[in-house]
Amino acid sequence: MRTRSYMVGLAFMSPALVVLIGFFFLPVVLTAVFAFTNMSTSTGISGGSYVVTGNLLTALKENGVPVEIADALSKASFVVDPEGIAKARDAGTDPAFLAEIEQQLGGRTFTDERLFERELKTLQHRPRSIRDLKLAVDQFELSILNSRFTSESAARQAIATFLPSAPADTVDQIVEASYTGWTWTTANFKQLFSTSDTWRIVLNTVFYVAVTLSFTVFVGLFLAVTTFYLPAGAASAFSMLWLLPRITPIVLYAVMWKWFTWEGGFLYTAADALGLPAFNYMKGSVPTAWTIVIMVNGFIGAAFAMILFSSALKAIPVQQLWASEVDGASRWQQIRYIILPHLRWPILFVTSYQTLSLLSSYQEIWLTTNGGPGRTTTVWALESFNTALNSYTGNLQYGLGAAMALILVIVGVSLSIIYLRLFRFDELLGRPKIEF
Amino acid sequence: MTVASFMKSATLAAALLASTAVLASAKDVTIKVWAGGTGPTNDYRIEAIKMAADILEREAVIRGEELNVTVEGQTWTTWDDFKQAVTLAAESNTAPNIIVSGHEDIGTWSQSGLLRPVEDYVDFDAWPLNQLYPNLIDVASFDGRVWGIPQDAESRPFFFSRSHMKAIGYTDADIEALPGKVESGEYTLYSMLDDAKKMQDAGVVEPGKGFMPRPSNGTDYWQFYQSFGGEMTDRESGKLVLDRQALTDMYQFFVDAVEKGVVPATYLGTTWDSWHDAVAHDKAGIWHGGTWHKAEWETKWGLKDFFGQMQYSLIPAGNEKGRANTITHPLVYLLSTTGTDDDATIAAELITIASEPRINALHAVKSGHLAIGTAEAEIPLYANDRWTTVATEALLPHATSLPNDPDFGVVWKAMYKGLEASWTKTSPVADAVSGVESEIKATLGDKVVIR
Amino acid sequence: MTRNYSNWPIILVLLLISAPIIVMYAFLLVDTVTTSPPGSAIPNGFTLSHWRFLIDPTATGDVWGPTLTTILFTASIVLIVLGVSSTAGYALSRLNMPFRRFFLGGILVMHAFPLVTLIIGVFLVLQFVGLYNTLTGVVLVKAGLMLPFGIWIMKGFYDTVPWEIEMAGVQDGASRFTVWRRLILPQVRPGLFALALFAAIDAWGEYMLPRILAPSADFEVLSIYLNTVSDPDSTTYNFNLFKSVGLFYTLPILALYAIFRDRLMNIFGGGTKG
Repeated sequence: MRTRSYMVGLAFMSPALVVLIGFFFLPVVLTAVFAFTNMSTSTGISGGSYVVTGNLLTALKENGVPVEIADALSKASFVVDPEGIAKARDAGTDPAFLAEIEQQLGGRTFTDERLFERELKTLQHRPRSIRDLKLAVDQFELSILNSRFTSESAARQAIATFLPSAPADTVDQIVEASYTGWTWTTANFKQLFSTSDTWRIVLNTVFYVAVTLSFTVFVGLFLAVTTFYLPAGAASAFSMLWLLPRITPIVLYAVMWKWFTWEGGFLYTAADALGLPAFNYMKGSVPTAWTIVIMVNGFIGAAFAMILFSSALKAIPVQQLWASEVDGASRWQQIRYIILPHLRWPILFVTSYQTLSLLSSYQEIWLTTNGGPGRTTTVWALESFNTALNSYTGNLQYGLGAAMALILVIVGVSLSIIYLRLFRFDELLGRPKIEF
Repeated sequence: MTVASFMKSATLAAALLASTAVLASAKDVTIKVWAGGTGPTNDYRIEAIKMAADILEREAVIRGEELNVTVEGQTWTTWDDFKQAVTLAAESNTAPNIIVSGHEDIGTWSQSGLLRPVEDYVDFDAWPLNQLYPNLIDVASFDGRVWGIPQDAESRPFFFSRSHMKAIGYTDADIEALPGKVESGEYTLYSMLDDAKKMQDAGVVEPGKGFMPRPSNGTDYWQFYQSFGGEMTDRESGKLVLDRQALTDMYQFFVDAVEKGVVPATYLGTTWDSWHDAVAHDKAGIWHGGTWHKAEWETKWGLKDFFGQMQYSLIPAGNEKGRANTITHPLVYLLSTTGTDDDATIAAELITIASEPRINALHAVKSGHLAIGTAEAEIPLYANDRWTTVATEALLPHATSLPNDPDFGVVWKAMYKGLEASWTKTSPVADAVSGVESEIKATLGDKVVIR
Repeated sequence: MTRNYSNWPIILVLLLISAPIIVMYAFLLVDTVTTSPPGSAIPNGFTLSHWRFLIDPTATGDVWGPTLTTILFTASIVLIVLGVSSTAGYALSRLNMPFRRFFLGGILVMHAFPLVTLIIGVFLVLQFVGLYNTLTGVVLVKAGLMLPFGIWIMKGFYDTVPWEIEMAGVQDGASRFTVWRRLILPQVRPGLFALALFAAIDAWGEYMLPRILAPSADFEVLSIYLNTVSDPDSTTYNFNLFKSVGLFYTLPILALYAIFRDRLMNIFGGGTKG
């Protein structure tokens, strides 16, 4: 019976489990895995192949690979012999063209692909398409340079066949170095802990979260308390107004702030008219940039805080307030001794919830200051996103970015667990009343 | 003999068979082209491919074949979104057939197996590729192979406002002689700062608008590194180089500029619009930009008399160790590994035809870029355009380019981070430089020579 | 109560701190139908020309395609969120199952942890199942993002339904599924409705996920469309035009909000326990 009820429960959960495992659990696991790799644009995500290139051989020479071996590997030659002809025939090259090659160039060796191609181009039966000509040329090539091998053994075998005299450990070294894919490493964390840049971003993040959070809580409190005392009409007008930032789509919201603060925008024009310093407030100075970043995010959070606080205030027995007024309490005393104690839990909740969302939010900053001016308003989540996915120079460092994201995950999960304790999670878990 | 990779020949054989089979019957091909950093003035990056498709189809008809090429173009105005899209698309095997990007991506993308070497598909001995400037082909090469066909070239000059220079005592003759003095090293970056300061003191430009560098990250900042004697690659070993002294001097230069008050400490990250507005409307004193900006100023910002309003020169030397220079940052047409070999062959033919002098000249002149080959420089549209001609003759011979090394992106990113940190005075110059050094060492180890 | 205090000082202070919002939204409305001289924020003429994008595709490109896509996008997300949350919320509220405590805790933790930071992992999962660069993929990810919240809210609503209803159904011999569908689901209709509203507003405004996970797909949602219009490099760049498109994009949300304000208020505060 018990298993049956378990089955029913799991069946009801299963759609949610599928989606949550796919889009929460797996990404977290993958992030954790990537954090320990050197994955980047140049290594690719899905794995690499084995390629011996000229630059690689130059580097290997410095790292102890005997010069003669490296030089031998770096040579390419094109030999017109029966074997090559046969291969080209199998590859589908025009037989008339091949016959001509054999007749005119039979037995010759070229070290320069360009020269060989030029010779072939003079032949009467040359294919019209340059691609076909090049494909024919490739059949005569004796080289492993720049060939992509999909597996290690193929690469090893190719080198061994090409250069049977090479010692096994040298071949190992070459094969290992020729891998273009990613490898396991802990360098990401070492790098994060060793650069001063990291600590600057951590400081930025702490500052951002702390100040935005205070803004959210204080403005939210102020709004909730003042609208509580206002007549219903005015109160609802203000609460509707403050919900606008929360429901406005982010693209529009960000551009409205730009319009408000950029040159030619509202503040700029107003300041200019009043003779105050007018410049691009969002990007033109560090204090104004921070102010705007905090307001952009704080306005969204304040609406959330206000709703929570307001609904908590509605639970205060009105008689208690009347009684206090009869006793001659000032409004400040009322707030201090009746209202604020009532709001203790909502305030704690907003603080913890907003800390988590602010820690991992970067959309608003990305779309407004983009971490500028300089990198003064760059926070951890934004830097992680920029490192992993958004680089002007084109080299996306997935591994390093994932390491940064992983740290954020760990911080976030630890904080949530603390908060769950704080909010007495166990109380939320009533046992189901129907047991079969 | 047996070596020429078995794998390779097998796939090539299949490809060859497929391509011969294809030529016999009617064929519909869809070629996707993605271009980054491409706005309205650069639309010929895609249009040229469409024109090429039309020509290719006509050629096919004359040969008695039927070929329908559909070109699907997509552009990104920024680089970061574009590179993200290309990289992720490549991971999911949906990359476009033709990618139009900066040449410095070749290193990274060729290593990750995203690119086909274009030299396997086109004939550099035949028209129109045989007239391309050899140095541009070098720029499109990496590790001994040619990976792309140059799409355009440019240089990034310094600009001076003629009227503001006159206001601080320069005569017309002085202004005409300026490019020469810059080239010889007589007029340095610090002379420039002095002039910018004078302009502000004279009240002809607003404070903070004396010197207006590029507002965002870009190739341009490596020019200043070169101005102070920095090199990006070691000539002998081909390794990347980070020159501590040059980097320090370059960061210090921008800090000095901030201290003189000719550029704000919070300058980096301001908007392009305010930059264009200032320089095109003669509100700025001295600035640097790209040859292509002239086209934007004229079409979007109402610049009337370019030559009457602005003087141009190389980027001045910073000190006696450096030299006047400019960087060319050609975009290249690249072939991706997505799709069949057959599609790639057609894509290769398209980018070859798009490199026809007449077609490429449309892009060059419309967008203010420079010719990619000798024949293009003679096309009347191009040859009769004063700006492209002077830029080709006066600036391009001095141009260097960024290395195509796959690790250069890391060095670049670190360099710019350090620049931002010192420029905004978040950290002292020495700290910023050691920050760059430690980041590069941590990521790349001995792959970069630090001097 | 509290008639002995004047409200005006409070209203004044409130107006002051609300000024940015008032100014931004007032000008959003006004600028879409007026022209103003350069260098001034004060309008000097009335015009409907900023709204020409509705009928004239040359203004900013076709707006109706993206609108339809956004409707489809939003509707699919709402359906998935409702479907999955209503079953999972029920299971967590009423059914006995293994790891119940763990699930509940896990959902709370996830709820507090936005997925956007793990976007590379998400990309890989999508790519693995072949949904990268597709509308379906983005819909699934966005719905997944909202699920912890949705489940938590639905659990809260189920918790308020009296046990007696369920007991009666079960004693009549109906299966748990039938009981849920016939008896319980109608009881939580207000919850479903509020969640649907919330999910619709959230999905309608989504920008990041389509931009990263479907950068070159054939479809375009309004947020991406709006961002293209706001790009100063675009040929059709015009700030008032942008604001008109922006207002057009936001109107459905404002309408939903104006009509169902009270229900929304409930759920916006719904992150609270219980």
